[in-house]
Amino acid sequence: MGWEEKQVRGYPEFVQTAQRYRGRPIFALFCGDKDAEGRSWCPDCVTAEPVVRMELHNMPDESVFIYCLVGDRAYWKDPNNEFRKNLKLTGVPTLLKYGTPQKLVEEECFKAELVRMLFTED
Amino acid sequence: QEAAKYEKKVMVLDFVTPTPLGNSWGLGGTCVNVGCIPKKLMHQAALLGQALQDSRKFGWQFTEEVKHNWMTMTEAVQNYIGSLNWGYRVALREKKVTYENAYGEFVGPHTVKATNKRGVEKLYTAERFLIATGERPRYLGIPGDKEYCISSDDLFSLPYCPGKTLVVGASYVALECAGFLAGVGLDVTVMVRSILLRGFDQDMANKIGEYMEGHGVNFIREFVPIKVEQIEEGTPGRLKVTAKSTKENQIIEGEYNTVLLAIGRDACTRKIGLDKVGVMINEKTGKVPVNDEEQTNVPYIYAIGDILQDKLELTPVAIQAGRLLVQRLYGGATRKCDYVNVPTTVFTPLEYGACGYSEESAVEKFGEENIEVYHSHFWPLEWTVPSRDNNKCYAKIICNIQDNERVIGFHVLGPNAGEVTQGFAAAIKCGITKEQLDDTIGIHPVCAEV
Repeated sequence: MGWEEKQVRGYPEFVQTAQRYRGRPIFALFCGDKDAEGRSWCPDCVTAEPVVRMELHNMPDESVFIYCLVGDRAYWKDPNNEFRKNLKLTGVPTLLKYGTPQKLVEEECFKAELVRMLFTED
Repeated sequence: QEAAKYEKKVMVLDFVTPTPLGNSWGLGGTCVNVGCIPKKLMHQAALLGQALQDSRKFGWQFTEEVKHNWMTMTEAVQNYIGSLNWGYRVALREKKVTYENAYGEFVGPHTVKATNKRGVEKLYTAERFLIATGERPRYLGIPGDKEYCISSDDLFSLPYCPGKTLVVGASYVALECAGFLAGVGLDVTVMVRSILLRGFDQDMANKIGEYMEGHGVNFIREFVPIKVEQIEEGTPGRLKVTAKSTKENQIIEGEYNTVLLAIGRDACTRKIGLDKVGVMINEKTGKVPVNDEEQTNVPYIYAIGDILQDKLELTPVAIQAGRLLVQRLYGGATRKCDYVNVPTTVFTPLEYGACGYSEESAVEKFGEENIEVYHSHFWPLEWTVPSRDNNKCYAKIICNIQDNERVIGFHVLGPNAGEVTQGFAAAIKCGITKEQLDDTIGIHPVCAEV
């Protein structure tokens, strides 16, 4: 069946989507919002996204890749935002395997090898 | 990781042979997965339970009865361990160390065969090899041991509360586990063949035993199990244990939900093909003798960690030995690992920290007339208000009279013993004497000022 991508924005939408695909491997990439020209306020996210996308084909069959925009810079900087509080995210970009402690944060997401390792690990 | 820093091409072969009950774990070795880390976290869970009781005396009011949930604790601990396993994977990859989750064994000079869990075999050659295969828990060799008993390999991820538990053994593993199991409210009995904490200062060992006995742990002394049978299946089930006295002909029986074996650990050196490359091991113990540069009798094969003969089985020792070894091999360094005056701590309910000689070994080495022991009971300030024991915490130092009363042994029994001991270990390494210790003004009010 391969894998599919879901694009969401904001915490409630993320949680709802993750619940919907419970039982399948779920990988999520969290990035800062994009402006009208499609550029994110987060420069590291701009660097990481193409690297991650190149490796998506390494995900196991049936995987769901959730591309999640977290919000604007002010929202992200707030130490109490839901992503920080509930998902324990510490930075963007974060690429994680949902439901496990496996994740890559910030510059780790620039490394294709590490991204591939996250997608193919068991 | 250290070798990779010197631009060497490095591979790690790590594989966990599942326990008799099918349990396995990730990258990191014993300490991370089924040793120090989960042990200390569960010890902390037990301490927090005690703290909750004490808190009422300090004015905290809560009416609900406080209960412990085994699954909540275990899931949290396993989650943390998982993040460590992942962290190591990332670190190895970032440092360009090749990692294979496969069982390594020597098949010929400079050659190992790696077999992964699917049975796929690969051959690798290398200039040098480092063996750090550690140990696994020993079983009793009695009927029912592998089928029904668990070991520390299974305990920290047990998917159900162990219930009424019999701990067999008197090692620090046995006492630490018995301690935190009792601390989270379980009915615990420890079956001891002879003495507690063999190899440790016996005066301190007995104090630890007394404390545990006075705080809810039952001890059955001078008995060994001869049979374990299952009365009822379940999670946990019910087991019947038959035991024989080591002194007379008495036989006793007991019923428990779980039997935890902690009678010792055996080195994993017998099935890795050491004979194929001529590495000598102690046939009786399985341990590997090495010179003071961690080299085996085969010059290109080195060994570190718990498998070494006559060396301390501690994680930091192995790590230090490994780092220094690589620095000597590839960095031109000459420093060797110092195995003397290594501090340790036993995380029993009343923690015990030690560095240097036990009283017995000091007497043996220097003669009773040449050593002086200074000791004191102390009452931690935090224990006064909740009326906890005022005569159980204890500290002693052993001094060599012939050498300016140099402190050669340090022992403390009390809260945070590990934290207290670390500083004194550094002092002992510098050769602190009793006079210098006396001259050091204490921090007040803390236990360490004693």
